[in-house]
Parts: sequence; structure tokens; C-alpha cells
Amino acid sequence: MATTLATKRLSKELAKITDIMPDGLTLVSATDFTSWTIDLTVLDANPLYLNQTFRLKFLFSDKYPMEPPEVVFVSLHEPPRPIPMHPHIYSNGIICLDLLGQNGWSPVQNVQSICVSLQSMLTGNSKNERPEGDTAFVATNRQRPRDINFYYHDDKV
Amino acid sequence: MPPPNTPVAHTPRSLSVDFTESLPFHNITVPPPNTPSSALDSPHHNRQYRSRAPQVVEEAVETDSSEIDESQHIDYRALTYADTVNENLICPICKVAFVDPVDTECEHTFCKECIAHALEHNDVCPFDRNPLPQPATLTRSHKIVINQLDSLLVECSSCRAHVPRSMLRNHLDRYCKEALVDCPDKGCLQQVRRKLVDQGCLHNNIACPDCEGIHQEVAMSKHREESCEERQRQCDHCGTNILRCKQTQHEEECVELIVPCIWVQYGCEHQCKRGELNLHKLECNFRLMGPMADILRKEIQTLQSDVRYLTDKEQLQERRIKFLEGGQRESHRHSNYEEWSSQALTPLADSAQVEPLSESTNEYLLNLLGDQERRISQLSSALTELEGKQTMMLFNETVPIKNQIAELQSNQQMTSMHIRWFMNWRKEDQLRLQQQQRRFGGGGGCAGGSGGASESEVDGGGSSSELATPRRSPDSLTRGLVTKL
Ligand SMILES: [Zn+2]
Ligand SMILES: [Zn+2]
Ligand SMILES: [Zn+2]
Ligand SMILES: [Zn+2]
Ligand SMILES: [Zn+2]
Ligand SMILES: [Zn+2]
Ligand SMILES: [Zn+2]
Repeated sequence: MATTLATKRLSKELAKITDIMPDGLTLVSATDFTSWTIDLTVLDANPLYLNQTFRLKFLFSDKYPMEPPEVVFVSLHEPPRPIPMHPHIYSNGIICLDLLGQNGWSPVQNVQSICVSLQSMLTGNSKNERPEGDTAFVATNRQRPRDINFYYHDDKV
Repeated sequence: MPPPNTPVAHTPRSLSVDFTESLPFHNITVPPPNTPSSALDSPHHNRQYRSRAPQVVEEAVETDSSEIDESQHIDYRALTYADTVNENLICPICKVAFVDPVDTECEHTFCKECIAHALEHNDVCPFDRNPLPQPATLTRSHKIVINQLDSLLVECSSCRAHVPRSMLRNHLDRYCKEALVDCPDKGCLQQVRRKLVDQGCLHNNIACPDCEGIHQEVAMSKHREESCEERQRQCDHCGTNILRCKQTQHEEECVELIVPCIWVQYGCEHQCKRGELNLHKLECNFRLMGPMADILRKEIQTLQSDVRYLTDKEQLQERRIKFLEGGQRESHRHSNYEEWSSQALTPLADSAQVEPLSESTNEYLLNLLGDQERRISQLSSALTELEGKQTMMLFNETVPIKNQIAELQSNQQMTSMHIRWFMNWRKEDQLRLQQQQRRFGGGGGCAGGSGGASESEVDGGGSSSELATPRRSPDSLTRGLVTKL
């Protein structure tokens, strides 16, 4: 049952997304219902992210939408897709956002709402820096993003 | 020849079968007199229906409970809706129209299954994170919501017809021609589309006449039309590729096939390709006689059938007369019989003739009674069916009206709220204007300037009712001053 719910729900979302994709988002690939890639740009003229496009990778478990998808930024040379500079985004692309954690997630959220949240998270940022202890975290972390217990320092950013 | 006093009821079948079969062009609307009602509506069908009816009911009950339910499980989340569903009827979790909607304590609506699932993972309302400790109190959504969902048109996955969502189960279980039902052969465990049920079990293997491949009879026409490798051949006459199984159909319209003139039965020996037949029609020697002969032939057929009908009617009447005469004689003899028996002079021959007579009369009357009863029960069942249909129709019609009324009511409430707000605003505005005017007048023109102004200020602070009253005349103002002093 869970498997089919995930598939059905994602096919609904996919149909809607391919119909009208919100501004600043481009569906790159969605070959199956386990992994999608979406390109994201920031809508306003935040000088930090001017003329940059970022690539998001979504991994869906068969418990989606009851459980959150795993969402990370991925970097690429061609076309250039850097990891955005943000105090809640590690340089390996892992995002520290409570919406994507077990406790912050709600099944009424969806791929589009995640993308929009990330867009606004970048729009509102003015600090050109990585999270505290980024180098150490990136060097040592072997956990999957959703299993990491982030301490959500401040939710305003 | 039946005995002279045999009542009609003894031979209804043969009689009416004769009628229906011998009068193909003649619609019998007036039945022969004295025909028992069972003979009215072709007894053929009647008997079939009656003998089969209980079987049908048994089948329906059986399949309803188990077999169809399993094989034709409806996945309500995979339905295709005829129109775009209103956003308000979409479950935020599964993103399709609610299935079995329930409301949370915080008045958010989800499918019963969806919210149960979500609460297993996190016991808060998925919408507003309002804590919903287990076991959560979930109430069935308002009837309006349910009705709206019930009336959504969905596509039947079998026959593609659009039916209201609440009727889909019923449609698949009873009416859908394409739905799979159990094979009419009880020993066969396979399923077949409802439209083929009348043809008996079609699950035996037969060989394809074209490629000799073995297929089930039920799948044969599809095989011959779509997948058989030998399914196509060239028409011998026109050369186009045709399906082998459709050859006879094609031959009826192939323009290159040699066919006889349409008046062949009246003697025209002309033969030509079908495509050229129209040319021949214009010059055929029989072009005037043919239609004439056709009309005459039809006329004769009608007359023949009329004659047959009248003969039957006459026979029937004759029999009826004989029956009535027999009845009279019987009652007459009956009294005689008692007389004779008391005198011990009973003639054997007479008594032998009397007994079967009274028996057959009773039987005839009983038959009549039975027929009437059957008709009444038929009528009453038709009536119940009609009643059900009407209730359903009424229900379907009232639901949208109810919804519209609710919408209008809320609109009306909104408007009245706006008006009330606007009135208040106007009142306040007016008040403000008056106050301004008064203050302006007091400062400018009054003779006892300073005294009057300070008084009105004190007044203003003291009572609000005075504020609300229209501008006071200088008279009343001084009077107030005097009384206070
Ligand atoms: Zn809620
Ligand atoms: Zn749902
Ligand atoms: Zn159907
Ligand atoms: Zn069968
Ligand atoms: Zn074949
Ligand atoms: Zn042909
Ligand atoms: Zn001719």
C-alpha cells in the first residue's frame, strides 16, 4: 500500500509540475519515482546568488509522503552547478532545514513546496558563509542527511 | 381438434407462438379475446424469465459478497475524473479527491486512510501541527462534502463511461458491459466480460481458422482482428488488404465483386461489378416493374398474415362459444343429475361427461387467477423500481441545489457583513464631521466664547450620549449650563 501511495502521489505531483513549473525551477530528470533532479535559481537579485543555478537532488523512499524525501544540493562542472553559499548548507550539499527533518516534515508538503522554501531560504540570506564546523562535518559525515540530528540554531534564516 | 369445451388456458403456448411467428409484419396490439394474460406477453420470454429469475438472484448475492469484490476492487486513488476536481475536495496528503473523508479536531479534512497513515509517523495534524494524541478523534466529514464527492463523475475503467463516483460500484457490479464477471459455467473458474455472459462458457481452446494457433474462444475474435499473423489477405476482387474474419462483411460492399441485378428475382439476368450496378439500374428492363412487384409482394404478405390472424381468432371464438355452451349444459345437467340420482336412475355416460367439465372450469378459473396475480406482482415490482429511480433522481438533483444554497447563504452573510461595516463607518464618519463642525463653530462665533467652549469640552468628556446626539442649539447648551450651576 505504502509503495503505491508514494508512486501515485508522485505521479500526481509530476503531472502538475510538468504542466506548470513555478518560476525559477526546472525539472531536469524524473525517470522514475525514486529520484528526481531539479534546477533552482533565486528569483530576486540577491548578489550572493546572482546568475547562478543550483541543482537539487530528491530521493524518495516508499514511505513518501509520510516521510520526507532526502534533498541535497549536488555540484556539477558542466553545466556549472555550485553548492550555494549559506550558513545552513554544508559544502557537500547537505541542507540543514527543519522542513526536511522527521519532525519538521508534514505529508501535506511536496516537492514544489520544498523548492519554494529553499528559494526563500536563499533569498533571505545575506551571509556568505558555511555552517560552523563545515570542514570537519564534511570530512567525517557518513550518515544520510535525514538521519542526522541537526540542531536548528535559528529558524529565521 | 381439442375437445369442444377445452378452455383456452390449456393451449396458450402453441397459440401465441403461432401468432408471433406467423405474423412477422403485423404488430399484435389487440390480443384475441379470452386469452389468458400469460399468453399476452409472449410466453416464450415469460417462461424463460420465470425459470431463470431465482438463479440470477443467487448469482448476484454470491458474487456481491466475495468474488467480484476481490477481482474488481476499485482503487479510488487511481480513478480518472471527468472534470477537474475542486481544490477544496483534494486531500492534501494523497492529492486526489477525498476517499472516505474525516475531520480532525482542528477542523482539517483528510482521507481516513491518509490521516491514519500520517499519524502513525507523527501524531500532529499534517496541516497546522496541532497535536493529535493517539487515538485521535476523527469525525466523518459533513454530508455536503460527502455528497459533493459522491456526485463527482468518474470514468469507468472498463467501459470508459462516466458515472457518479458513488454509483461506480453498482455500475461495475450490475451494468457495466465490459466488467469481468464469473463465467456462466459454474465449473469454469475463469471470468468473462458481462456482454458475453449470454454466450455461455467461452474458455475452451479452439484453433484459429487462419493460422491454426490455439486460443481461447473468448479471445479469438481479438486474435483474428489484431494479432493473428495470417489475419490479412488480399481481396480476390478489388485487391485491398482485408481481415480474413471480415471477409463476408467486405464481400457485401466490395465494389469489384460481380453481383446480380437487384431485380434478379423478377427475372433480370444482368450481372456486373457492384460499382457499376448503379449504371445498370438506370437502364434495367425491370426498373419500373421491380418496385411495383415489391410493393405487391409486401401487400400480399400483409394480407396473408391478416388472414392467418383472423382464422386463429375465429377458432378461438368458436372454442369460446363451445365452452360457454358446455358450461350452460353442465349447470343444466347438474340439477338433472341430482334428480336422477335420487331416483337411482343415474346414466353412466352422463356422469362421466359432467365430472371433467366442472374440473376444467375450476382449473380455467384458477389459471385466470394465477395470471392476474402474476401480472399484479409484475406491476408492483415495476412500480418499486420506478420509485427507486425517482428517489435517486431527486437526490441527484437536490444535492447541487443544496450546495448552491449554502454558497449563496455564505455570500449573503458576507455582503451583509460588508454593509454593516460600511454603515458603521459612515456613522462614525458623520459623527466625526459633526464634532469637527461643532468645535469649529464654538471657537469662532459664540459670544460667551471661552465659557461655552470649556463647557462643551467638559460635557464631551462626561457623557458619550451627548456626543452622539446631533448638534445642540446654543439655547439648550445654556440651559444645561444653568441647571448645572
Ligand atoms: Zn489541523
Ligand atoms: Zn488522501
Ligand atoms: Zn463500465
Ligand atoms: Zn468459462
Ligand atoms: Zn490466427
Ligand atoms: Zn474487395
Ligand atoms: Zn437488371
